Amino acid sequence: MKRLFLFAILALLPACAHQPKDLSKFEAAKPASILIVPVVNQSVEVTAPDYFLSTVPVPLGERGYYVFPVNLVKRVLEDEGLSDANLVHNAAPQKVCGLFGSDAILYVTIKEWSAKYLLLSTVVDVRLAYAIKDCKTGETLWDHEQAMTYSPQNNSTGNPLGDLIVMAVNAAVTKAAPNYVPLARQANNIAFNGRPGERGIPFGPYASQEQMAEGARTGIRAPKN
Amino acid sequence: MSKVRMSWGLLLCLTLASGCVQTKYGWYDYDQKLYRHYRDPGQQEVFLEQLKEIVERGTSSNRIPPGLFAEYGYVLYETGKFNEATRYFDLEGKKWPESRVLMAKMVKNAQLRAGKAEGRVQ
Repeated sequence: MKRLFLFAILALLPACAHQPKDLSKFEAAKPASILIVPVVNQSVEVTAPDYFLSTVPVPLGERGYYVFPVNLVKRVLEDEGLSDANLVHNAAPQKVCGLFGSDAILYVTIKEWSAKYLLLSTVVDVRLAYAIKDCKTGETLWDHEQAMTYSPQNNSTGNPLGDLIVMAVNAAVTKAAPNYVPLARQANNIAFNGRPGERGIPFGPYASQEQMAEGARTGIRAPKN
Repeated sequence: MSKVRMSWGLLLCLTLASGCVQTKYGWYDYDQKLYRHYRDPGQQEVFLEQLKEIVERGTSSNRIPPGLFAEYGYVLYETGKFNEATRYFDLEGKKWPESRVLMAKMVKNAQLRAGKAEGRVQ
């Protein structure tokens, strides 16, 4: 009986283990360019989509893809009557891509972008759903969901009153301008570049040999500005 | 005094060390500049100047990121500098073959607008 129980646990284990992503469609499609379209916002922060949009081109470009100029793309879509990101996301990929001549298209939905104000500190949460689709077939080549949480570090000064002041300052700073953007950058970095045990997206055609060797060695590459 | 000198030395080391971790392209805080542009959309001239700086530095270091010639070109276009815009759309298309379909459209648009603007002057 005991043995049967153990067997049941062992049988369940693989289901718990992280499934490696199937990137075979992505690798077969070999896109050289990625069109980043405006972001769908499911959070209550109205500024979130534009702020988030600003964080996307750098990591994708660094990954070796031609990245269409995001601000130009946003404005051209507005001119075409597609100023609502939901419309862009619901339109056929082929139609949107056709306007720009891209190989692949990246859709991002902001699932969460919120700050919880505690008494003396602020906790910031972001959760993003990404999907890259093939512009020719409309098929999904890759998708990923990434959540990040940030709470300010308490830099201990070694005396309780000093600590209180530091924490109060932290809270004030984050309340005035919640620190979403660094968190969004971190989420993108993990989503696109992967981390040990997760692959991220394949390298684009402009990636260098060193980049690919580094990526293969560590499974992660964190670009710094 | 020696403490001050040591911290300067440390700073120099850190600066040098961070210089070693180089990005593939010279973005020069493009993401932060874009963020600020979305935060204060009225500051179009500031954004234009910042993009100009990225383009100039990227050109001289030969590390211009994808999309940046066109991004700069588009803000020139929006501020009515159609001929200059055309030049940067052309540069983008020459540098990145992936952008050629779009850049051909952008050049056509810019030239149309430039023609109209000239027509008004005459």
